[in-house]
Amino acid sequence: MIEAQGLTKHYGSLVAVRDLTFQVSKGSVSGLLGSNGAGKTTALRMLAGVLGPTRGTVRLCGYDLIASPMQARRCLGYLPETSPLYLEMTTRQYLSYRAEIKGVAHSCRQAIVSEAARETGCEDILDISIGRLSRGHRQRVGLADTLQTNPPIILLDEPSAGLDPNQVRNLRELVGRLKEDHAILISTHVLAEVESLCTDVLVMHKGRLIANDSIEVLRARQGGAELRVTFRDPDQRVPAILASLNWQFCHEPPAADTKADTASSNGVAEARIRLTRSCSDTGQAIEQLIAALVTAGVGVRSVDRVATTLEALFSTLAQPDEDTTL
Amino acid sequence: MIGFCATFRREFASLWLSPLAWILLFALVVLQGAVFVSIVANFAATTEPSLNVGPLQAFYGQSVLVPLTYMFLCPVLTMRSFAEERRSGTIENLLSAPIGIPAIVLGKFAAALATFAILWLPSVAYPLILRQVVDIDWHTVATSYLGICGLGAGFLAIGIFCSVVARGQFIALVLTTSVFLLFLFLGTAQYAVDDGRLRLLCDQVAIQSQLAEMSQGIISLRRVAFDATLVALPLFLSTRVVGSWRWS
Repeated sequence: MIEAQGLTKHYGSLVAVRDLTFQVSKGSVSGLLGSNGAGKTTALRMLAGVLGPTRGTVRLCGYDLIASPMQARRCLGYLPETSPLYLEMTTRQYLSYRAEIKGVAHSCRQAIVSEAARETGCEDILDISIGRLSRGHRQRVGLADTLQTNPPIILLDEPSAGLDPNQVRNLRELVGRLKEDHAILISTHVLAEVESLCTDVLVMHKGRLIANDSIEVLRARQGGAELRVTFRDPDQRVPAILASLNWQFCHEPPAADTKADTASSNGVAEARIRLTRSCSDTGQAIEQLIAALVTAGVGVRSVDRVATTLEALFSTLAQPDEDTTL
Repeated sequence: MIGFCATFRREFASLWLSPLAWILLFALVVLQGAVFVSIVANFAATTEPSLNVGPLQAFYGQSVLVPLTYMFLCPVLTMRSFAEERRSGTIENLLSAPIGIPAIVLGKFAAALATFAILWLPSVAYPLILRQVVDIDWHTVATSYLGICGLGAGFLAIGIFCSVVARGQFIALVLTTSVFLLFLFLGTAQYAVDDGRLRLLCDQVAIQSQLAEMSQGIISLRRVAFDATLVALPLFLSTRVVGSWRWS
């Protein structure tokens, strides 16, 4: 449904987005991740037709956004960052106006507005001026506008910004219901949101797409070899053994007087370690590690495998690298 | 044109929902009343009235009333049109909607023009009042309003363009006022230059000359062509510039 091919955007000498190629199909929710300035919002604006790409193409439901802009935009519901609205209008007037410019016939408009308001919890604020609404309510009005014509493609830029925890839960439920027959792309900083909502993850870093897969595949690619180990190491041999087998502490080894990473008691320590190289058989790597520790006289008391969090994946993927200028 | 009516209604409502249009209406009615009373008093005191210029010709074509309203109404009615959309970010909603940019530009222009026309509506009372004491040539009244609205449409279109190119509404207001003052200056300069061609050029663009002609019932093709250009060119350029925002 969403097909981006070689999407590139230059601002003078700055390359905001570089050669972005991906697809989002019906029934999937993709999370667009990236640190500030990674190019997420620029990418979404290009997908929504607000910005034209310097190079590359966007196809929405098969329609090229440049060659057939009207047909392509009819397939699209787009919630921009900060949800800009006309403050002097009431929610009902605004939604009705937006329905009209999206081509909804006058006879259907009221029903569509009411349905969108019900879906997004805006029923109580339909006749209140938008200028008097809280940020969370305004976000919901923007969401109602995005969804009201039931477009097959939904682009959401930071949709949970300004929402309270209940509203965030409602949003997640709503997206969960919508994903059956929509293609949804969500740009967000909230990794927990991506883990709970998204089937796929697109990670951008300095304008480039550096990962595009399901969360499970990304975890598998990272090796998933993160362990919580409890051990007794009177001779301080563990750091050397870890280094020789391409393992490392998840954080810097703690100083003797801190408990940040390793909890020590009576010579027994607990630490989180991870494999630093990709490995097709992580089980074998774990076996080798345990054998080496035992051979060296380290008292291994327990080994637990820790599921890799999206945060860990993201911090590993988004390493600082090359310049983004031309 | 999809989106034109929706844009027109939203802009029109936006202008009248704010106090701005009502303040302008009040100020204009007071100004028109003051100018009308002064003109009528002046004519009443004249012992040798001109055959060509009656109170209505003076009111519509020779007083400072119309240029003053252009200077204040047109920039104020148009300054928000695009500058505010960009500032608030609502332009993103418009550019991602399935409507064309010409519909957006024309919708905003039509709303400003309709508001301009409504602001002038109370002045229709003055010929009706004068009708009680003298015969009124309704043809000249009609051409006067045509001239006022024609030039007004031109300056509103310029105002829309200034709002498109300006970064903020205040800058748009200053730009539109500056362009109007340039036209006013060129119109006045025709009396100061001796060169035939330059003088003719100044006369072509002189808003005072057009208002004076049309208040006497004269409609010339060159004036109509000038007004049409004054409307079409800025609106066309506005459409192109808004379209270029996608590529900036």
